[in-house]
Parts: sequence; structure tokens; C-alpha cells
Amino acid sequence: MLSDNNHAAEDGLIQNKIAHRKKILAAFLIFTGLFALLFGRLVYLCGWKAEYYSAQAEELHERERSIKAARGRILDRTGKVLADNKTVCTVSVIYNQIEDPEEVIRVLGRELELTEEYVRKRVEKYSSIERVKSNVDKAVGDRIREYDLAGVKVDEDYKRYYPYDELASKVLGFTGGDNQGIIGLEVVYDTYMQGKPGKILTMTDAKGIEVESAGERRVEPVSGLDLCISLDMNIQTYATQLANQAMATKQADSVSILVMNPQNGEILAMVNVPEFDLNNPYDLPEGTSETLTAEEKQNLLNGIWRNGCINDTYEPGSTFKIITAAAGLSEGVVTPESSFSCPGFIIVDDRKIRCHKVAGHGSQDFTHTMMNSCNPALITVGLRLGIDNYYGYFEKFGLKTKTGIDLPGEAGTIMHKKENMGNVELATVAFGQSFQITPIQLLTTVSSIINGGRRITPHFGIKAVDGEGAVKETFTYPVKENIVTEETSAVMRNILEMVVSEGSGANGKVEGFSIGGKTATSQTLPRGSGRYIASFLGFAPAESPQVIALAIVNNPQGVYYGGQVAAPIIRQLYENILPYLGIAAYHE
Amino acid sequence: MAAQRRAKRKKKEQSEYFFDYSLLFIVLFLLGFGLVMIYSASSYGAFEEFGDTAYYLKKQLTAIIIGLVMMIAVANIPYRFWEHFYLIGYFVSIAIIWLVKTPLGVESHGATRWVKIPVIGMNLQPAEVAKLGMILFLAVLVCKMGRGVRTFRGFVLMMIFPLPAVAEIYLLTQNLSSAIIVMGISVLMVFVASPDYKKFVIMGLLVIAAAAVVIYLAVSSAENVAAGESDNFRFRRITAWLDPESDPSYTGFQTLQGLYAIGSGGIWGKGLGQSMQKLNFLPEAQNDMIFSIICEELGLFGAIAIILMFIMLLWRMMIIANNAPDLFGAMLVVGVMGHIAVQAILNIAVVTATIPNTGISLPFISYGGSSVMFLLVEIGLVLSVARRIQLKEL
Repeated sequence: MLSDNNHAAEDGLIQNKIAHRKKILAAFLIFTGLFALLFGRLVYLCGWKAEYYSAQAEELHERERSIKAARGRILDRTGKVLADNKTVCTVSVIYNQIEDPEEVIRVLGRELELTEEYVRKRVEKYSSIERVKSNVDKAVGDRIREYDLAGVKVDEDYKRYYPYDELASKVLGFTGGDNQGIIGLEVVYDTYMQGKPGKILTMTDAKGIEVESAGERRVEPVSGLDLCISLDMNIQTYATQLANQAMATKQADSVSILVMNPQNGEILAMVNVPEFDLNNPYDLPEGTSETLTAEEKQNLLNGIWRNGCINDTYEPGSTFKIITAAAGLSEGVVTPESSFSCPGFIIVDDRKIRCHKVAGHGSQDFTHTMMNSCNPALITVGLRLGIDNYYGYFEKFGLKTKTGIDLPGEAGTIMHKKENMGNVELATVAFGQSFQITPIQLLTTVSSIINGGRRITPHFGIKAVDGEGAVKETFTYPVKENIVTEETSAVMRNILEMVVSEGSGANGKVEGFSIGGKTATSQTLPRGSGRYIASFLGFAPAESPQVIALAIVNNPQGVYYGGQVAAPIIRQLYENILPYLGIAAYHE
Repeated sequence: MAAQRRAKRKKKEQSEYFFDYSLLFIVLFLLGFGLVMIYSASSYGAFEEFGDTAYYLKKQLTAIIIGLVMMIAVANIPYRFWEHFYLIGYFVSIAIIWLVKTPLGVESHGATRWVKIPVIGMNLQPAEVAKLGMILFLAVLVCKMGRGVRTFRGFVLMMIFPLPAVAEIYLLTQNLSSAIIVMGISVLMVFVASPDYKKFVIMGLLVIAAAAVVIYLAVSSAENVAAGESDNFRFRRITAWLDPESDPSYTGFQTLQGLYAIGSGGIWGKGLGQSMQKLNFLPEAQNDMIFSIICEELGLFGAIAIILMFIMLLWRMMIIANNAPDLFGAMLVVGVMGHIAVQAILNIAVVTATIPNTGISLPFISYGGSSVMFLLVEIGLVLSVARRIQLKEL
């Protein structure tokens, strides 16, 4: 027995016991202290670090699939749908759920018309969810769904669809695979039309198998807003036909037609042929070499997508005489009755500048110089104004600034620096040469001269409406008043009406309507290449313009005069659209 | 008068001896709570693997029932009976560990820590036997040494005797944590037996210094590994502990997953059964890492409740040890107390990434049949000591 062994220490046992008790208490306190430390550590983990770790854990547990939001449609001024959505499918694979990878690779490769190598790469990639192909036809998506393959997900979403294929392609633009605008109005109004994508959040276990009891969290997508634009599908269609016709008959490189309301800047049509197919924007024209590098291909596509009315500048030629005339009238250096004499040329400093009529126009009043599009007379007006004044009007009319149109990539004006301008430069600018502006700039400036002096902002966007048709935002655009006086404006309308009724723009005449306008024939750089741009600018009714249009034929073969090539286009256009727009014909 | 005296004596006999119901209740609570948590943490994986959500629950319940029967038996045997077996206990502890090297050894997780008991077909961790054997041996040794324990020679002897078993556990079964526990139990028993403090403070400081050196070596070896030298898995555990996010796919993975579980539980927890991490994200969810699932489902408050239960358990044992009728009983209880305290503290420290990851289970709660059975036998010993406490001494 123990107590026997320790018999000698019987007395010490009591003391010993007290010492042991102290030691046991000390041990207990040490253990309790360690537990307290661990408790402190837990408070730190569960309190301070909780947010961090639970976010990490959530990321680990949740699989997210996004639901595309329906993109807002684009409607023309009559409510016709120009850009719509159709249901397509996105096919994805979930690595952890795939049971038979070979079968999946085989079926997806066949149905989606993809190479085995491409599908294999995606199927065998270790990721939570891997997109194999988006924008798959709904019929194909349904077929894949019927195979009922484990680990293959077919999600429906929307794809942009343009019912009129090529119509106004460079205006509307198109969207990319992620529902984002690439060019045109789709870019500018992206934030309105995009909407907010929704999400399906599911909880999964470590193998990626969905935990059914955890349910799924769904964040519903918010549809984008519909965009109502000023474009008129009928006018656009007809203008496109005319442009195609002109391009074919004149074997031109391209033809642009702009139709706008000069009172408020609403653009009714903007045609740039050749257009491209919005539903297949990446298709290259037939006969393109197939050995292009990616960069060459992209450059080619950028050229195809380019909107000549906005992205490119040109020398406006005689149509710019409208601006010179308006400046001269505003400054009072000329009146409609002022008389001019044209010997067929004019000497400016040491240069001899020819009139297009070699024999000269002889003696004529100012109105007739415009009707004849006489270069020396307009050069004289420009010289009378002087460089300072002329430059001042150039800026006042807004020609140095961009128009602010709601399309991306508007080109700026290319103009001489004021300090570099001599009389020769002034003379050439006065009849529309040696500088470059965009067609939309010319149309906007002329509009502000003939509408009573208000410089309007050309635009397409009118309002954004939601799915129920409630207006969410009405777009407003700046207007600059008093560019010219009402009197000058009236005189200019009158002169330009005379240009069409009796002068060089006679081909723009429309039976029963009063038309104002101006032709232009400009040589493209380099001079002497034999390349011309024929254009005509016309508005109606001449007294109170409701519509203004500009036709530009780029590099026509054969006859290249604006009066012969471009004016008939506008005439044909007006013959049809003036009655359509409800502009009353006068009866003589 | 005689009748009165008899009645008085009978009353005295009834109240003379003490049964610690509080201790029993705490143990039963921890076992019950452990069963609930094992079911919660393992049902998903169990269904996937065995088609039975209660697979682990049933096995654990069986072990607990056997354990409880053994506990009651031991509690009813006067503890002094075991005194005679101390040498057998010691040599069995040392011998049994060699069994893992025989065909009976069961390999799992890259280390052989279990032996299969023939006939019953149950796996037994020899380290558990060693813990119990060492408690018995040291308790007797302290008594045999008497005053000798106060001398330096006594201290050294007490420290040297357990070393063969500790070394075996570490070297043969690659089980660092069990080796630490056996060593911890021994140190605690020597600490209680010897009235001196200075030696232990110095020992503590040496351990801390050694830990610092090891951490330093691990960090510099990690740099060497980056430079192309071969690496060491224990060192990698240390670097993974220092920065689990740098290594989430290897050693740091379990630690990090445990932290995710603890952190996402927050203060109130996700609710019983709502853990996400147990869905195969967290390895050993029902076993070594069960405390992190408790934190995830029951939050900081669940964790406090468990920690408080352990503190109460230790407190009860302290009371029993302090009032034990003799030194042998007191030392037995101190040994068991050390075993449970060291194991629980190490487990929670590992789960919370307070110390480097090493496989260690939470007493009474983690899944593991042989562990819970041996713990219950130890509780039986404590109860047996408690029963010998004479109430008049209280």
C-alpha cells in the first residue's frame, strides 16, 4: 500500500498536500489562461476577420451565372423598330459536373460547328464555368438541351437583331457579344439601352454540385430603355435606293445623302452607300483575299463601318459660297443688288484664279453671281471682308467647332491658321477650297443661315422610353442664336431659291414646290487626278425651310458636275418626301 | 438508541462518499453535443461515400456506448486496484506502438497510426493506450519516489521515463501531436508533484526559444526551397501556418478552409446544419476540424459554450484532485486533466491557426472511436477517485 511506503513522511503529507493543491490550481489557471487566449483569437476571427473570411468563403461556394438584360430597342420617328432583340443561347460547361467529357466534346463540336481542339480546351479547363459559345441559335440550344448532358448549361439570352439589315447601318451601329455598342448610336446611347444584367447565384459543394436545399438567389435583369430617334425609316429607305442608283449609274466610289430638319436639327435620313449588313458586321466583301492578317482585316472593317457624313472631311466647293455670301451680307460689304464684273479670272496678289466659265460671266448683280456660282465675284466679296472679318465669321458660324452630333468620331474642321492666311488663301476659302469640313458641318451651318440665324445641333436621339412607353428622358440639344440676322437669312433664302429656279441648280427643281439650293463640284486632292466630288444642297420650301438635304457623290465617272450628278438625286428625293412630310405644294 | 445509532451510521454511510454528478453531466453534454456536430459535419460526405447520412454518427454512437459501459465499470473499481499494473502499463505503452509496424498496422493519410484489433475489427490508436499507461505509471512513480521527487535526480528521472514512448510515437507513427500530448501530461504531473517553480519556468522559456528557432529555420528553409533545395513537410506546415493564403492548395489548404468556416460563422453562426464548408470543402470536417464547423454553424457563442464546458470540466477535476484521499488518486486525476486540457487547447489552437497544423482531435467531440473510449475510461478513473472522497473532508 502506498501509505505504508510513505509512512516515514506521514507528517509531511499534509504539507505536501497543500503544495500539490497550489500546483494543481496553478495548472488549472494556466489552462484557463490558454483557453482565454484562444477565445481572444476566436473573437478576432469571428468578429474582425469575419467579413473577410465569409466573403472568401462565399466566393468559394457560389457559382454565378449572369442573365443578360434585354437591350433597349431603337425606334424610328414613326415607331418602327430598327434594332431589336431575339432570343439566343449561351452554351457553357461546368468542369466539376461533367461526367463524360468525350461525349460532351463530340456533341458540342458537332452542334456548335466548332473544332474538336477548341471545345476540348474549354471542356478540360479547370474553372468553375467556362463559356463555349454565345449567340447560339435558339433551335440549336434546344437541341443541345435535349441531349441532357451532365455539366453542359444552355442559358437563354438576347442577341441584337436588325430587321432591315443594311438600313442606316453606319448610323445605328451594332453591338458586341457582351451587349455593348461597337459603333454608331449603339455606342452613344449604350448606357440607356444596356440595362442591368441579372444574376443567378447558386451554392455548390466542393465538387461544384449545386446544393438544392440552399436554393438559388436570382437578381432579375433590368431591361434597357428604348431609344426613339428622329430617323424616318421610309425616307431613309428611299434615300438609300437613290444613293445606290446614283452610285451604280455614275460608278461612283460612294454616295452620301443627308436629310435634316433645319429648324431643329432632327436628322431624317443619313445614307452612306455602300452600307453593310448590321446582322453580319464582320463579313468581308466578296473577293477579299483570305490571307489578311488580323490587323489588316480590322482596318478593312473599320473602313467599311466608317460614316462618311461625320468621320470624313472634304473640300465643300461652291456650296460653301453660301457662307461667304452670308458673311458678306451680314458685314454689309455686299447687297443683292451690288454689281460685279467677271472676265473669267481674277488676280489675287500674284495669282490668277480662274472662273469655271473661262469666257467669264460679264457684268452681273450679286444674286446672279450666286446663280452662276461665279468664283471671281465671291472672291471679291471675301477680299472685301478681309482676313480678320472673314475668319471672324468662319468662327461665328461655328465652323471651327464640331457640330456635336450624337454619333461617335465626328471629324473636326481642317482650316488654315489665321496667322498663316494671306489673300490667296482667303480667296480660295471664299469659294470653298483649300480647307476641309464634314458634310454634317456644311449642312448644319447652312441650316443656321437659312433658318433665321439659329445654329442648331444635328441629332438623332429624341427620347428614351421604358418598356411601358413612359418617357424616361427627353434629350435636349444646345442652340446658338443670332448667327446671322433674320433679314440676312431671308435674303439668303431668296438668293438660293433663285439659284434653283433660274440658275445653276435648275436640276434640283421640283414641280410645284419652291426649292432653295446650291451645287458644288470640287476636285479632290491631289489636283489634276481627275477625281471629283459632285454635291448638291437643297432645302424646301424656300421661304420657310422644313427640310434640308445634301447629296454627295464621290468620284463619279463621266459627267461630274454637281448640277448634273447630285441635284437630280435631291430632286427625286423631294418629289417623293415633300408630299410625304406634308409640306404643301404651291399652285401657280 | 441502538436503532438511532444505526440510522445515524446509515445516514453517514450514504453521505460519506461523493459521486461527482457535475463532472458526469459535463462529459455527457460534450458527448451528446459531439454526436450532433458529427452528424451535422459528416452527413453530406457520409451519404456521398457510403450512402448513409448517419454512417459516422452510428459508429461514434457505438464507440460512446462501449466507452460509457467501460467508464461505469472503471468508476466502480477502487482506483487503487490499478496501482499494481503500473509497470505493465508502462511496458505495454512502449510495446504496443511497435504494432503499427506489424501487418496489423493500418495506414491512413500517409502515416501508420492505427492498429486493427483482430476479431472485433476495430481500429485502435496505440498512442491512446500510451497516454493512459503513462498517466498510471507516472502517478505510481510519484508516490514511490515520495520526497525523492523534490530532488533534481527525481525530476530528471520523471522526465526521462516517458521519453521512450514519446520518441516512438513521434518516430514510428509520425504523430507529433500525440507525442506532444504524452510529453505534456508527463510535464504537468511532474510539475504538480514537485514543489519547485523555477525549473518549470526555465523549461517553458526553453520551449518558447526552441519554437522560435524552428520557425526561423522553417522560414529560411522556405527561402532555400525557393532557391531549389529540397523541402521538409514539417517546415512547410510552419510556413503554411504563417501565411496560409500563400499556399492554399497544399498544406495551407486545410488551415485556410478552417478559417473560412470560422470567419463565415461570425458571432451568431449560420445555424445548426447550415455549414457550407462541410460540403467537402473542409477536409476532416467531422474529425480534427470539427471545432471550425461548430464556429461556422453556432458562431462565437457556440465556441464559447464549448470552451466554458472544457474549463468547467477541468475545474471539476481540479476539485477532485485537490480532495483526493491520497497522492496516487490526485496524480491520476491530474494526468487525466492534463491529457484533456492539452488536447483541447492544441486542437482549438490548430483550428484557429494559432499554431501550425498538426492532426489532433477535440476530446469527446471529434469523431474517433478509440479516442473517445479511452477518454471515457480516464473519466471512469476520475469518477472512481471522486467516489473515495469522504464528504467530511470537503
